[in-house]
Amino acid sequence: MFSQIIEMIFSASFGYSIIRITSPILFAALAAVVAEKGGVVNIGLEGIMTISALFGVLFAYWSNSWIIGVIGATAIGVLIAMIMAVFALKLKTDIILAGIAVNLLGGGGTVFLLFLFTGLKGNTASLTTPNMLTPKVNIPFLKEIPVVGRIFSGHSVLTYVAFLLVILVWVLLYKTAMGLRIRAVGENSHAADSVGVSVMKTQYIALAISGALAGLGGAYMSMYYSQSWNIGIVAGRGFIALAAQAMGQGQPVGAMLASLLFGFASALGNKMEGMQGFSSYLVASIPYAVTIIGLVIYSMSTIKKVKRFKDNEK
Amino acid sequence: MENKRQSMFEIFRGFIAIAIAILVAFILILICADDPGKALECLLIKPIISNGALNTKSIFTILARMTPVIFTGLAVCVMFSANQFNLGGEGSVMLGGFVAAIIAINIPMATGAHVFVAVLAGTMIGGLVMIVPAVIKVKLKASEMVCSLMMNYVIMFAILHFLNNKFADRSKGATQTYPFLKTAVISKMIPGTELSWGFLIAIIATVIVAIFMYRTRWGYSIRMIGINESFSKYSGMKVGGMIVLSQVIGGMLSGMGGAIEMLGRYNTFLWLDLPGYGWTGITVAILAKNNPIMIPLAALFISYLNRGCELMSIYAGVPAEMIDIIQAVIFLFFAAEHFLSGTRQKIVVKDAKEELQKKELASEGGNA
Repeated sequence: MFSQIIEMIFSASFGYSIIRITSPILFAALAAVVAEKGGVVNIGLEGIMTISALFGVLFAYWSNSWIIGVIGATAIGVLIAMIMAVFALKLKTDIILAGIAVNLLGGGGTVFLLFLFTGLKGNTASLTTPNMLTPKVNIPFLKEIPVVGRIFSGHSVLTYVAFLLVILVWVLLYKTAMGLRIRAVGENSHAADSVGVSVMKTQYIALAISGALAGLGGAYMSMYYSQSWNIGIVAGRGFIALAAQAMGQGQPVGAMLASLLFGFASALGNKMEGMQGFSSYLVASIPYAVTIIGLVIYSMSTIKKVKRFKDNEK
Repeated sequence: MENKRQSMFEIFRGFIAIAIAILVAFILILICADDPGKALECLLIKPIISNGALNTKSIFTILARMTPVIFTGLAVCVMFSANQFNLGGEGSVMLGGFVAAIIAINIPMATGAHVFVAVLAGTMIGGLVMIVPAVIKVKLKASEMVCSLMMNYVIMFAILHFLNNKFADRSKGATQTYPFLKTAVISKMIPGTELSWGFLIAIIATVIVAIFMYRTRWGYSIRMIGINESFSKYSGMKVGGMIVLSQVIGGMLSGMGGAIEMLGRYNTFLWLDLPGYGWTGITVAILAKNNPIMIPLAALFISYLNRGCELMSIYAGVPAEMIDIIQAVIFLFFAAEHFLSGTRQKIVVKDAKEELQKKELASEGGNA
């Protein structure tokens, strides 16, 4: 049985499914990174993803175009993030509570909105047409290479966007004036304020970017991964993303690596489900358990680092 | 200084928040119901008055549905008071219910003792699992929020595993356990209704938590840590221990709520998903402004709306999920500290001016 698992892990299809499963978490993890860097905890990612996933499908259905769907999902992501921002930044609702409210909207609210707009209950499978799904992209040359081609080629166009965004978010945060402002506000808002950076405006921007990224993650879920919207579609990925952000030390690349770890755990779970002797339920809990373990290991290493630093100072 | 006019304003602001939520509900109903009048009647009136008479059965249902939410509301109250954003209520409720159910099915005991042991076990296990995020927070400075959220899913899948592979009654179409032994069922307060004695336990729990939070040293420490952690630390409180304590108490209350709901409402374990009481508990705690005594009132309000939405979906075809939108709106406005801050400012200024005038009058009087 063990050799079976090893064999499976080293197959190209396993590598392919890791990337496929990682993509939505990566979008959300980047969303968490940008918000966190700006000093706001965006716990509403789960809700934003669910709502965007729904509206992605609806916009795509109304326009019969996946591009409009993706743009719509992103716009809705920004809109929800802005609603959160108005309450959290202007009206001083605790940002965590505002996030929970957004998650409530994502939970039952989406079911209601779906009924409001289409009369459907619970899922949109009956609406799906091929035009509404984001296309798979075969990358020339790369796809010819054995194994590597099968792992990295043939993903949704959004998958490539997600990994490209790792670089873009890194550039934004570390190489632009806006990124510097976001980090300054997150690091020490009073200091940033004292040199003339508008804290509120910067946090609005950070949340908007965060919402857009989460919206893309939602679009990926409903317009590629599940091929339609259904209740519970996001299944905690928004929360996992928060953990990925923490484990990735708040860095885009770190968050990507953490997301890949969850992708690996989930892919492993999916494959093991079919095997004899494994409980599909316990296997389904693996990514969440890995998150906790990862968080513990990461925190332990940080504490050790701080300790060593202090010892050296003495 | 909070004076009468300002505290009146706080209450007024709460009502405005609720009014806005109800208004949003009205608008949604107008858009999506075939017969908005009927839908509104279902939402607001039918839960207590049906066909011109008091709808006693429905009233007892409302009271019964308050029970689990009071427990999770109290749990959130204690944890949020210490500034611990532990969101593991969901997992604790489900686990408490599951453990109580397993004991109720498999370990025969005398009447009375059986319920007691089952609920106690549910309570203990609920507290036990919350040690994990609490200790990780205190020892490793890792976010208790992320950890507790992840634990909800781990707990859910673990329960589903044991339910499906060990305890399921395969003779039934749906996934569920064997029925509880008669000795373990919490009897109904009023026969023929949903209202069990669990409701009374919830009220007693409210009083105990209120006393704990406002009349004991530990409760004081928990609240102080929530207000100013550094101050608490330097004034010699055992901050780490108190943070763990607050989350364990929260877990215990949630676990107890799950156990009592399970044995008081059902006769077999049939939760296949996180039950949602943990999240509702947060809404309730916000409405109660983290004051334990106000929790039952807040729970009553949410339970009433819930029942209204349920009736609305049965009789007027409006999806019951509307409750989540109403809750979200209440949530946002109720917790918004600067909502109507302009008006608040005016009141504060007016108060200050009046006070000045009084002082001037007094000093003039003294001179004369």
